[in-house]
Amino acid sequence: MVWGPLIAVYLFLAGAAAGAYLAESFISFKYPTDKKTRRWGRIIVPVLLGVGLLMLMIDAEAGFKNPLRFFGLVNNPASVMTIGVYIICMFMPISLVVAVLELFHKNVPRWLDIIGDIGAVCLAGYTGFLLGDSLGVPLWHNSILPALFLVSALTSGIAIVSLLGFLGDESEFEKMRALRPIHIVATILELILIALMLFIAVGKGAAGAASVEMILSGQYAVLFWLGLIGIGLVLPLALDVFTAGTANDHKAGALAVEASGHACVLVGGFLLRFIVVMAGVTMILF
Amino acid sequence: MTKRITRRSFLRASAGSAALASAGVVGFADWQAERAHADEAADAAQATGETKRVSTLCNGCTNECGLWVNVKDGVIHTLEGNPESPNSGGRMCGRGHGFAQMTYSADRLLHPMKRMENGDFEPISWDQAYLEIASKLTAIIAKNGPQAFAFIRDPRPNINFYGPRFTAALGSSNIYTHGASCNLSLQSAYRATIGGGFSADIANAKMIMFIGRSYADGITPANVKALANLSTGTECHIVIVDPRFNNSGHLADQWVPIKPGTDLAFVLAMSNVLIEDELYDKDFVDKYVLGFNAFKKEVAQFSPEWASDICGIEAEIIRELAYEMAAAAPAAVIEPSWRAAFGCAHQNSFMTGRAVAAFNALLGNYGQKGGALITSSPALGALPADKFPSPPLVDTPRVGNAEYPLAVPGMGTNLAALKAMIAGDIKAVFFYQSNAAKGYANPKVWEEGLDKCDLVVDIDVQMSETAMLADYVLPECSYLERLEAVYTQGGKKHTVSLRDKAIDIVHPDTRPLDQIMRELSAVIGVGKYFDFTIDELVEAQLNSIGLTTEELREKGIIDLGTSDFEYGKVPAFATPSGKIEFYSVTVGKAGLSPIITWQDRKAHPAEGEFYFVGGKQSVQSHTMTTSIEALMNISKEYKLERLWVNASDAEALGIKEDDTVEISSSEYTDTIRVHVTERIMPGVVWAPTHYGGSSPYLTQGYDFGICVPNFQPFDMEPGTGATMSQEFTVSIKKVGA
Amino acid sequence: MARYGMLIDTRRCVGCFACRLACQMKNTLGPKEGFVHFEHLETGAFPHVDAEVIPMQCMHCEDAPCQHVCPTGATHTTEDGVVLVEESKCIGCKYCMVACPYSVRMIEEKSGVVEKCRFCWDDELGGPNNPSCVATCIADARIFGDLDDPESDVSKAIAELGAQPIAGDLTKTKIFYVRG
Repeated sequence: MVWGPLIAVYLFLAGAAAGAYLAESFISFKYPTDKKTRRWGRIIVPVLLGVGLLMLMIDAEAGFKNPLRFFGLVNNPASVMTIGVYIICMFMPISLVVAVLELFHKNVPRWLDIIGDIGAVCLAGYTGFLLGDSLGVPLWHNSILPALFLVSALTSGIAIVSLLGFLGDESEFEKMRALRPIHIVATILELILIALMLFIAVGKGAAGAASVEMILSGQYAVLFWLGLIGIGLVLPLALDVFTAGTANDHKAGALAVEASGHACVLVGGFLLRFIVVMAGVTMILF
Repeated sequence: MTKRITRRSFLRASAGSAALASAGVVGFADWQAERAHADEAADAAQATGETKRVSTLCNGCTNECGLWVNVKDGVIHTLEGNPESPNSGGRMCGRGHGFAQMTYSADRLLHPMKRMENGDFEPISWDQAYLEIASKLTAIIAKNGPQAFAFIRDPRPNINFYGPRFTAALGSSNIYTHGASCNLSLQSAYRATIGGGFSADIANAKMIMFIGRSYADGITPANVKALANLSTGTECHIVIVDPRFNNSGHLADQWVPIKPGTDLAFVLAMSNVLIEDELYDKDFVDKYVLGFNAFKKEVAQFSPEWASDICGIEAEIIRELAYEMAAAAPAAVIEPSWRAAFGCAHQNSFMTGRAVAAFNALLGNYGQKGGALITSSPALGALPADKFPSPPLVDTPRVGNAEYPLAVPGMGTNLAALKAMIAGDIKAVFFYQSNAAKGYANPKVWEEGLDKCDLVVDIDVQMSETAMLADYVLPECSYLERLEAVYTQGGKKHTVSLRDKAIDIVHPDTRPLDQIMRELSAVIGVGKYFDFTIDELVEAQLNSIGLTTEELREKGIIDLGTSDFEYGKVPAFATPSGKIEFYSVTVGKAGLSPIITWQDRKAHPAEGEFYFVGGKQSVQSHTMTTSIEALMNISKEYKLERLWVNASDAEALGIKEDDTVEISSSEYTDTIRVHVTERIMPGVVWAPTHYGGSSPYLTQGYDFGICVPNFQPFDMEPGTGATMSQEFTVSIKKVGA
Repeated sequence: MARYGMLIDTRRCVGCFACRLACQMKNTLGPKEGFVHFEHLETGAFPHVDAEVIPMQCMHCEDAPCQHVCPTGATHTTEDGVVLVEESKCIGCKYCMVACPYSVRMIEEKSGVVEKCRFCWDDELGGPNNPSCVATCIADARIFGDLDDPESDVSKAIAELGAQPIAGDLTKTKIFYVRG
């Protein structure tokens, strides 16, 4: 596939940034006093997105060599990439303003946060549409991908914000557990969407079937089953369900287990993009 | 003294030559950049933007296709076929486009090279090269006589003029072409049977049979077009007889797989059917054939049932094909072929050629529309003797003529010269654009022969494997940088054309052949036979037929209008009897059966072994194009080096697509990737004959694929001295299994 | 105004690579680069086999997915229906490459720009200049011309031979194939 790991990294970081913004927004709405988590959460969002965009620019060699050409990215409103640029043009400044306000301990106006939320949802969803609008790649060319990437962005965002909770005090980290039900539901939804995506792809002819074969039993099977399904989705889900029964366990060991669960989610978030990008097979016509 | 170059010494030498190559465009990327730059410069009116169109002849193979070269600011830009060219028909094949890039190849020879005591090559001056070659050559001739010298060449207009002249000037008759490893067997067979070669009248055939030959693989553009026209626009029945469904197969109506080297049995059995069932052209045979009754008696034993066991084709199919050919006659023909299945492949190739010529005679198709055409060639007039004195004729027969009297005189068998080198009778040898040591016979034997010589000189544009074995390598400029002697082509029309200089010399220390011959002969002391420039020669040659260089340059190709060909006229047969000789006294005298009859191939696979077939590919020309980046990238991208193995054989051996196998013959073992296919007969494997480069100077083709001649035992076909390139069998096994 | 298109007759094509090489020279591509590539199809089982070579290059689609996704507008269609890439606008994001169902776009090594067959478009001429793949084809397997002109060779041949786009009406291509 002509798009490779750099694109997967971008898709992951953009999604994670969007998800982190949403999760942080939820936390700051629910627990306005948890300053440390909020602070780091707000600052990390533009950083994640910025690094992602850098990946995208490095991958676009001709533009990287002639940076002025990037201004042309707004030219074609019919292109999902251009729409993505519009979304980023809206979301990035907001996230930056929010981060700067936070940095200087200023209050972020509620309306701005809400606009940012809208931007984040658009950003996460667009990464799915970006692949989904590729007529040439049956694995991607479906309506599941935007929903899948949105849900995955959310779980990654929750994981990031939860991990940032470590930077706060114990009480802040515990409060992150409020996100747990969202995470459980999102993870189950993600599993369903992945199954749906593969099911649809199989029905789309040889290339779709080849992609699915690569994922389920071919060169990406280990990454898929062990990495994405096992470590990235089922393990964190199991931990969530398991630790739900032992709420408010303060032991360091339990916290470490919980933290590793979040790290696993992030691994899964990246692997999802990586596998979907790498297993894309162009339409087989003959 | 060992003549092998080490990798280390090569690197040293190439570092030296790279430093010397700083001037000019070197390498494909450079060239493309230069051309792109020329475009931009022209657009910006910074450069002169000067464009010119030069007519020339392609040098990518021996077809001599006419081209127009578009030159921009002194750099080759694009090439197109000249519509007046009989072989190109206005089109140009892939290797032709690619071969033009040789001019800008980073792997070209830039300076005369001398092999030093330690085996390394070092650049020397032309003067030093001439002096040393001349003194060694004169010493060898003084001591051993002129027959100790031989000249081996891939024929081209310039070398066809200068090579024989130079050889004769030294008093030797040992001038050879590459023929022994090309089409020597069948050309000799056609000469013995019908007095010379023939062509198939493709455009008008109602049935045409290709035995081993594939127009799509060994390309002549006009032939491919004619075949495609036949295939899509007519009812012509096109039959491909080949162990492999070759790349022409898609254009054919019928593929008849045949065991390699048994084509003779198939043709004899078809002849048997024509005669037994009285389907042959009796009038034609009565009038034009010598020895028909003896042949009739002989082939009575070669029934389709008999042949079926030998060649693997069902008797019924053989019978049907014979009937269909007879029904379509005289617009039915077995195509004459080229190297392919019986150009030089087996010990029965000469006999196969005779049988093919005879079968066409049974169809009565000679000179007929859609049949076998024998056409004439134009001749140039005599050159003014004062300016162009000819060296005296050499009476001594060429080495090999006595043992291989059936070889076409214009070719000879260079393998006889090789044997004489090993025997110590030939001590000095020149090569021109000829990679003998890689392609003509087993390279080990060439290495031995050249090692025994006291002087080996190679004139080439690149450091071929043969050049690696030479004492002196003289770098020629590429074909786009030189004018060559006049080229005349026969056929239905007679044309004259020129390989002309399209651009100035890119590497200043390279020289054209004519200059090398003139300068070297002067140092040797036979300069009086070469005391003219190439421009003077060309002008004189053209004047001899009432033309001028200027006129020809302007038109590119001129139809001389001297062909007397007309359909329906049975041509004269230039055999001793003036008839088509089914029985040949000449052949009998050479120790072969005077009557056309069955003769088996030599090597037969033992249990578990495979027949081996080698063949050409459209993007390569012998081994000489494997240094061209654009062509080699196609070979690499499309994995063209792979060994074809039938799917059922592959399954039995546990081999899958692209697996690497070990392939062994009596002579050699190597490894190669496999292409598993239904397009080859079970029990047969096929590989292209271009690859397996071992000259580290030629970076593109180095160590890619296998070198087929490595597997081939040294042998020579009785009568012709052809190389018997496919008289061996191989075993294969999966690497790691 | 014309609507340029091409017919490729795979019944005649022998897969000799001449088109790719001629194109490579005319369009000053690198040694590894080509606007034309080849699909090799083998069908049947010994001895009843066939082999078809299908040359593939930019199909100059009416509904060009590459143009649809190109964010900068570098990919555009001329009035004459030729899909072109404007080098000075291309950022090399490769979105067009993933969108193209025919995989006939490539990245130019020297610039990082995505390129493809342009029917030998000549800026000076303002139109295609005798496409080299057609001019060099030794099997006469290609015909180029104006699809809107019912009298053009290409229109007549398409009608006569029933030539079809390679993948039905997927993208309304302007290259038509005769297969067999």
